[in-house]
Amino acid sequence: MNAKTGELAMAGEADPAGIMIGLETHVQLNTQSKLFCGCANPVHQDAEPNTLTCPTCLGLPGAKPRVNERAIASGIAVGLGLGCQLAKEMFFSRKTYFYPDMSKNFQITQYEVPLAAQGSLEAQGKAIRIRRVHLEEDPARLVHGPRGTLADYNRSGVPLLEIVTEPDFRSPAEARAYLQKLELILAYLGVAGGIFKSDANISLHGGERVEVKNITGTKEIEQALSYEIVRQSSLARRGQKAVRETRAWNPDLKITQEMRGKEGEAEYGYIFEPDLTRITLPQETVAKIKATLPELPDQRYARFLKHYALPPKVAESLVSDLDIALLFEQVAKEVDPKVAGTWLAGYLKKTLNYNELSFKASGLQPSWIVWLLQLFVRGGITDRNAEMAIRRMVDEQLPPQEIIQKHGLAGPVEDPALLVRKVVEANPRAVEDFRKGEAKALNYLVGEGIKASKGRVDAATLRKLVLQLLE
Amino acid sequence: MRAAGRGYGGMTARQFVREAQGGLDLREFYSEFFSRLHALQQDYRLLVTMAEQAAWDALPASRPGPLRGLPFSVKDNICTQGIQSTAGSRILEGYIPPFDATAVARTKHAGGILVGKTQMDEFGFGTFSTNSGYGVPKNPLDPSRSCGGSSGGAAGLVRALDLPHVAMAESTGGSISCPAAFCGVVGLTPTYGLVSRWGLIDYANSLDKIGVLARSVDDCALLLEQMEGFDTKDSTSLKRARTKDYRQELDLRKVKIGLPKEYFQGVDAGIARTVQGAVDALEREGAKVQEVSLPHTKYALAAYYVIATAEASTNLAKYCGMRYGQTLPLEGKFNEFFSRVRTRYFGDEAKRRIILGTFARMAGYRDQLYLKAFQARTLVIRDFERAFKQVDVLAAPTMPLLAPKFSEIASLTPVEHYQMDILTVAPNLAGIPQLSLPCGELQGLPVGLHLLADHLNESALLGVGRAWERLTRPVEEG
Ligand SMILES: [Zn+2]
Repeated sequence: MNAKTGELAMAGEADPAGIMIGLETHVQLNTQSKLFCGCANPVHQDAEPNTLTCPTCLGLPGAKPRVNERAIASGIAVGLGLGCQLAKEMFFSRKTYFYPDMSKNFQITQYEVPLAAQGSLEAQGKAIRIRRVHLEEDPARLVHGPRGTLADYNRSGVPLLEIVTEPDFRSPAEARAYLQKLELILAYLGVAGGIFKSDANISLHGGERVEVKNITGTKEIEQALSYEIVRQSSLARRGQKAVRETRAWNPDLKITQEMRGKEGEAEYGYIFEPDLTRITLPQETVAKIKATLPELPDQRYARFLKHYALPPKVAESLVSDLDIALLFEQVAKEVDPKVAGTWLAGYLKKTLNYNELSFKASGLQPSWIVWLLQLFVRGGITDRNAEMAIRRMVDEQLPPQEIIQKHGLAGPVEDPALLVRKVVEANPRAVEDFRKGEAKALNYLVGEGIKASKGRVDAATLRKLVLQLLE
Repeated sequence: MRAAGRGYGGMTARQFVREAQGGLDLREFYSEFFSRLHALQQDYRLLVTMAEQAAWDALPASRPGPLRGLPFSVKDNICTQGIQSTAGSRILEGYIPPFDATAVARTKHAGGILVGKTQMDEFGFGTFSTNSGYGVPKNPLDPSRSCGGSSGGAAGLVRALDLPHVAMAESTGGSISCPAAFCGVVGLTPTYGLVSRWGLIDYANSLDKIGVLARSVDDCALLLEQMEGFDTKDSTSLKRARTKDYRQELDLRKVKIGLPKEYFQGVDAGIARTVQGAVDALEREGAKVQEVSLPHTKYALAAYYVIATAEASTNLAKYCGMRYGQTLPLEGKFNEFFSRVRTRYFGDEAKRRIILGTFARMAGYRDQLYLKAFQARTLVIRDFERAFKQVDVLAAPTMPLLAPKFSEIASLTPVEHYQMDILTVAPNLAGIPQLSLPCGELQGLPVGLHLLADHLNESALLGVGRAWERLTRPVEEG
């Protein structure tokens, strides 16, 4: 933790640019059933609209909620993962407002006492204070189409966790780094289900606070906040002031748009949810969740540095993707960890990113990676061809043995010196250029040698052979 | 007819069930039952919906359980699968629930036959059943008078029907006791949480209780035995073993009865005298009687109306014409559409309570009203806790007046209207069980004796109730 920025944030002072940003992030939990009924949680399947419903999540007269204890347990895990204080006793409240996606026109949420509070998350060296973490129900999904707007109540009642920060961000980049880290922590905890949406509160130079709603994911947060900062600064330059209002982020136009009037904040008239009793968290339950809490990214990073002696950049890159981090630990049992780390953090991640695939979705098997890297360490395949093999494995969904054979990516070249002689004879102009002192010509000849050997002879060997022949 | 010798009229529910289990011709009984019901409906409008076809369909499958073949009616705010359930509101006209309330399901499972849905004030909002969207039920004792409310149809039906039948009803602030008193029948409001609320169309969830209106204490006990007990579908239902049998006798010589002095103030003098007379009779049978004080009673009415309307205003938000009940052509913005539907189909009292309740929970008033009401509620509960350390049962008048004429009701202001609940709201705020018994007559109209007991002490309540019945009209126990 950067103590200095942490203290600055604690004091709540604005930086010279005067930017203050706070985030409220909603994440769907991946419990098997919904928050207040036994319906299946739609994050696990692609169900036809309105098939995962019951009287409770449809808000039928006479239906009542009952709390899904697994959702509370997930919430506790997140609270602990963010270093929060847990509520000893909690209860739910009704937040009443009218909207067509609401099955009851009130949302059951936590108001007075959140499940967890006063935590902190460190992102890129800066501690961001977590104000509160609470549970609430997701409304239905509205589908706007040519025949009008339809409501899909499959989503109605999906457990949502709302994670609220203090206004500790001083730039859009900090907000993005925080969200990336939060997403990572949730992935490590294994609780996140789907939608990851944020609302941002942003003010400049102590001016009015503007709320920007509906920002999805980590990429849009930077765009939305940057847009809003430019908008508010240009208002200021024209001598106008930002008004206290709620705006919506439009991801297609990449702008924020006025949403509600400026008449002030919506009035929700919270009451205690009278259909649910107070919930006391038994100490044993909390202790059990604490004991089974998985290793979190920061802990894993520290362990990777210490245990595998990885370079910090490599460790950071591995840890920032849970699948890759787990793969690394598996591969490092059979391959030199430094080689494994460099390859997974480098070529493998590059290939996956290029194909926009996660490791799980790529079809690659850990045993394939182990076999290939072991071959590489033995000198049985060149750097270049091993990278090629990874790419081909993803494209063709075949193990490295077959890929290498099919594309001739490894194996002995009978007489590398003969191969070089043929390359030199076939490229008299390059030889002439080399003799005139053009360094590029040597590289060209080495490149032709790589091509001719289908990459099976590495560049250093070829260079040596070309020089021997020409000098 | 098997029971022709004495007819059905004098039968207790338990006697009828025994007859039905012994092979009584239920088809013949139900022919008579429904012809009677049609006639009563003509005269008194006690039902919102008659479930005649459903009853005939259910008869062959009627289970040989402890309620075998027994007709039961259900207050219209309790959901019945396949039978319209409106809670007395036009906004739910045509709404047919896809599920039974737990209390209804258990009653059917025990062999009970649903015969109809009884009239009520819209969503339970009223004391005289004059706020129904489906006409006003009339008191069978005098059709120019109210049955009381909000379970007016249920009490009226029990009164008018000279046949075995029990009425499943519901109380939020006195909606079982009040009509029991006005119609001269027995009303049992159980401890909050004893009977599952799953399937009860909410008025004020922290106060709503499903109970019984019937002709005798034992009839009430019989239905309670089947309805009560923990239900996973209602988080506020109490986790405890089912009592199963509420027939225990009680030795009056071991009973201490408290008379809360605050409950005799501002009550019609004749009513106070009649109730005192009943208590004197119990004392002569050996009960110890003493005066007690419930000093925070004065806060109960205000606290009740704040909490009840705050909760009600959120419960009623879901009725917006989008998914069930009445709707209108989709025009304009969604909030304009919602407003049009709600303006058209909610009655005046529902609108009044939505506004009151919304006001009570809004920023700026929430601390002074909503949260303050909870503090007052705690004081009221403490009053009862203290009282039940001294006595087993409290006795008081149920209502401060006799069943009023509709012409008298029309001249009441809303506040005068709310003040009718002055004696019933405190026990409802505390969630303690209540039993209203007929204890005499004045000007030919019944007077209600209100017995209150501590949480889950239904046995004491029913025991004293049985003793009182034995004193006044020795019923042939089955
Ligand atoms: Zn559901």
